[in-house]
Amino acid sequence: MMRARWLFVLLWILLGPVCIGPAWAHHVIGRPSYSLNEDSNTPPSMEVETQVGDYYVTYMVFPAFPRPGAPGRVNFYATRIRDGKPFQGKVTFWVRDAGWLHWHRRPPEKLGVQTPEDGVYRQLFQFSEKGDYLLRAEFEADGQPYQIDFPLRIGNPAPVGPIGIAVGAVMLILVSVSVIQRRRLVRLKAQRQRLESGT
Amino acid sequence: MAMQMAMQSGQAMAGMGMAKGGMLMTMYPGLPLLWSGTALAAMALVTLLALRTGAGTLGGRWWVLSRLPAVGPLLRWLATRPAVLVGLRLVAVALFLLVIATGLFGNQIPQRNLATMLTWTFWWTGVIISVLVVGSAWCAICPWDALANLLVRQRIWGRAHMPLSLELRVPRWLRNTWPALAMFVGLTWLELGFGITTSPYGTAVLALIMVVLATLSMALFERKAFCHYFCAVGRTLGAYSTVAPVAVRPVDTDVCARCKTLECYHGTGEVEPCPTHLVMGRLRENTFCISCGACAIACPKQNVAWRARPLGSELALDVRPRWDHAWFILGLVALTSFHGFTMMPFWESWMSRLAQWLGDSGQLLWSFSIGMTGALLLPIGLFALAIWVTRRLLGNRLSFRRLFAIFALPTLPLAFSYHLAHNLTHLVRESAGFGSVLANPFGVGAKPLSMAERMADLWMPMDLLFTLQTALIVLGFWLAMRVLRQRASRLPPKGTAMTLVQRLPVTLYLLVMAGFNLWLLMQPMIMRM
Repeated sequence: MMRARWLFVLLWILLGPVCIGPAWAHHVIGRPSYSLNEDSNTPPSMEVETQVGDYYVTYMVFPAFPRPGAPGRVNFYATRIRDGKPFQGKVTFWVRDAGWLHWHRRPPEKLGVQTPEDGVYRQLFQFSEKGDYLLRAEFEADGQPYQIDFPLRIGNPAPVGPIGIAVGAVMLILVSVSVIQRRRLVRLKAQRQRLESGT
Repeated sequence: MAMQMAMQSGQAMAGMGMAKGGMLMTMYPGLPLLWSGTALAAMALVTLLALRTGAGTLGGRWWVLSRLPAVGPLLRWLATRPAVLVGLRLVAVALFLLVIATGLFGNQIPQRNLATMLTWTFWWTGVIISVLVVGSAWCAICPWDALANLLVRQRIWGRAHMPLSLELRVPRWLRNTWPALAMFVGLTWLELGFGITTSPYGTAVLALIMVVLATLSMALFERKAFCHYFCAVGRTLGAYSTVAPVAVRPVDTDVCARCKTLECYHGTGEVEPCPTHLVMGRLRENTFCISCGACAIACPKQNVAWRARPLGSELALDVRPRWDHAWFILGLVALTSFHGFTMMPFWESWMSRLAQWLGDSGQLLWSFSIGMTGALLLPIGLFALAIWVTRRLLGNRLSFRRLFAIFALPTLPLAFSYHLAHNLTHLVRESAGFGSVLANPFGVGAKPLSMAERMADLWMPMDLLFTLQTALIVLGFWLAMRVLRQRASRLPPKGTAMTLVQRLPVTLYLLVMAGFNLWLLMQPMIMRM
């Protein structure tokens, strides 16, 4: 029993500092890159390479952590896999709210239509609200439509991390149960006293 | 799907090793013709043999393992020592906490992080394989239950005298396997749709959610309601363990019949009561037994031990057909096949086309959800059709629900065998680089696996893998037919035997599902990592 109590205390000591620590940025998709790229003086937040049909596509987002009200930029490259030739046509960039359950989602907004400079498509953006967005690069090549979606986070992620939420939820459960147990106990005592005084 | 951030028309990805959303993906060939032909021939033979009338000889013989020479005393010692269980639980908890830590704070390359490798490649595949050897024993050392125990009862094993629990009875409407089925569907969606298997972060978050759910359940309800009703892993292992060759049972049933104190059910001063409300003397099926061993330790007559019995005998003879359990079994049948289906090369292109049609983008979650719903409903719909025809052939003597519940049982070995065969592929082919993950669980500074590393020698020869998969599919089909014969030979209420024609619709269904599973194994398969 004592050993289990010590384990319990140890667990809280171990988890305690973690759950009040800073929130960690996280990207499920893409790999964060912290080297300086091109003419930007801030590192890209995300650099993703992917194959779509006949094209090999790369995109980068600047700056590292875009904020509401501050300008940012997407650099987009598409090269044909067969011969390594860069795509030369026009690319249209769209933006819309991300998330699966965004029922109140606003209609997609066109950011602009870009032509390449040295094989690179540059699209500027500036968001007024923080949140999760989906950027879409759309082009047509060899009669085939191509649409590439990628996520974009504007503003800081949630200040409390998953450990904080989990520990908070567990604490809430245990404290609530403890309070209910105490109330039950008080009620039982009162009932017993009433019964005893009645007899 | 998680990496399916790019959407385009046409063109499916194929070939060995190519980029998919910034990652290399690998595809392995399926069962060669020799093995699949052998499996088909064996299945045809099993069908012919099974079409004979009669119950067959899947008997109720069993052997008490603790009475075996040499290993018997060791098994008895292991089963009655709480220290062994506590030790294993602590190891499981330590690994589980490491999974959370590496998932949240480690390298997010799935093959380089312990969270994804240990959880999805080793645990989730291995735990299903473990049922074949130790039944539902995983539940006894389950880390989220152990952590919930620690938080609510302030101990990792044994009876708690002042738990932080309201000890409520589970409401009647929740006392079934529907919550576990809902969780299983949800987990499959997260696994295949959301791509949690390739996300160390997501895996860690899921682990935390499991702890919170188990804690919530233990804080509200008496005993272990989470294990009993809500946990998808527990219910899956419980269902499969009715096919397993081992189970915890009385050594001598007469001793139990004379017992008035029922320590197995009530526990003792030190040992907790049965977490899932089972009385050992009346225990006929493994479905809800979590193999925690509390009964073996509590029994003053030392009358509880591990038993060996023929594969599938419990499913054929003892499992009580229940409507909710039937749905859970059919959910397993549909979802295990669906797992394989989503790893076929054509699935991605189907999803792309559906997404284009729907205007879906991003992770294509709407498209995936529609595909998954269809894949779930199709096998269940076919089964319902087979039952409807069977009922007509039986002259509407029994209700649809009753027949549905009875004949869902023979489908369980199909799900189990395909699950095992499919998981073997993951275990053998996705374990490349695990040594380096053990040495560097957080994946500090690690780069994605190169194609050479992916294609490194597998720890099991391909021929052996194909042989095992073929054997499993044939074994599953054979067991399914045996269970069908047993169940059809004593149809309630009077124990009448069904004729060959009356058995035909369900026989055909089993044949179609086993054939489909074999076909899935024959296809080239895209690996998750």
